[in-house]
Amino acid sequence: MRRLTPSAIAGVLGVGILFAFPGTASAQRESPLPAASRMHPDTAAAPLREPPGAPYKKVSTLVPLPDFVPGLGTLYVDPATLPAGPFLAYDHGGNLVSSIYMIPLKDMNARKAFSGLKAAQARVDHVDIVFNAGHPGVAEPHYHVIVWYVTAQRAAQLAK
Amino acid sequence: MTSPSRREFLKAGGRVFAGFGIAPLFGTWLRYSADPELIEMRSDALGSQVWFDPIGLYVQPGTTVRWIARENVHTATAYHPNNDRHSLRIPEGAAPWDSGFLVKPGATFDITLTVPGVYDYYCMPHEAAGMVGRIVVGNAVGPGADPFDYWVGKAGTDDWRHVPDAARAAFPSVERILAEHRVRSYV
Repeated sequence: MRRLTPSAIAGVLGVGILFAFPGTASAQRESPLPAASRMHPDTAAAPLREPPGAPYKKVSTLVPLPDFVPGLGTLYVDPATLPAGPFLAYDHGGNLVSSIYMIPLKDMNARKAFSGLKAAQARVDHVDIVFNAGHPGVAEPHYHVIVWYVTAQRAAQLAK
Repeated sequence: MTSPSRREFLKAGGRVFAGFGIAPLFGTWLRYSADPELIEMRSDALGSQVWFDPIGLYVQPGTTVRWIARENVHTATAYHPNNDRHSLRIPEGAAPWDSGFLVKPGATFDITLTVPGVYDYYCMPHEAAGMVGRIVVGNAVGPGADPFDYWVGKAGTDDWRHVPDAARAAFPSVERILAEHRVRSYV
């Protein structure tokens, strides 16, 4: 059976050091932000571009999901941070577009706190909070809290 | 006007054969040559709603059922202790199945159901959200026709898993499947 075991899931909680990535589709490969502002001081390799590097792993190598998840993008996660994440999402051009936090309903109902989750260090365009019925890796009803670094129009381009 | 499907054509052929009293000779051929019964594995764009369509199905023994993934990632997995210690809800003489994850839209999984009875199945990542289905093969008998907790207290069932509440609420009744043969999801 290919289902991700709880122990494997429990292996993932890490630190997501995220960066904003404004810009248009035509400018996705070159961020308008100065290089220095795109580098987090605590990491040698900023996850602005895919792949983000260790401790992140491509989600499709951990669980049976497509490389590119329609509506979200190509996802990476530090397995130690599951299920909350953050998951780093990249567009077809390999640019960071969002960070996603996945919060199980049962944890919300149990009033569990999720503190100290890492966040981007640049401007957030908007946030979506969306119910999800489950998927490999988080096989239970949960909410996606999606912190977008791109406009809604650019997010819509991730549909395929 | 649309042209008749292959299944409709075969059914029509069966009626012609029956008229000549030779249906028994062709019944088996017709049954096995027909297209599989299709069950779609669906989802809305956000992954908020997921469902099998139809959620309830009646077929004759020997029918091949085909699940096809339309959106999202799904499995079709029989309620059976071999599948992650789920409770037994298919006929005792039937082999359990697990499609594994169907990741790409259009991916399919087939199984031919020969043992009469009620077959309950679920989608692994979506069972807790109530993505389940039920197939009645011939007669509505077997563990799948029993109450969900029929096994509690029986030897060898200590590690079986209960059917989640959302799944219990989603199953169509056996009576409705027998009456309608194809029960569409409410979604």
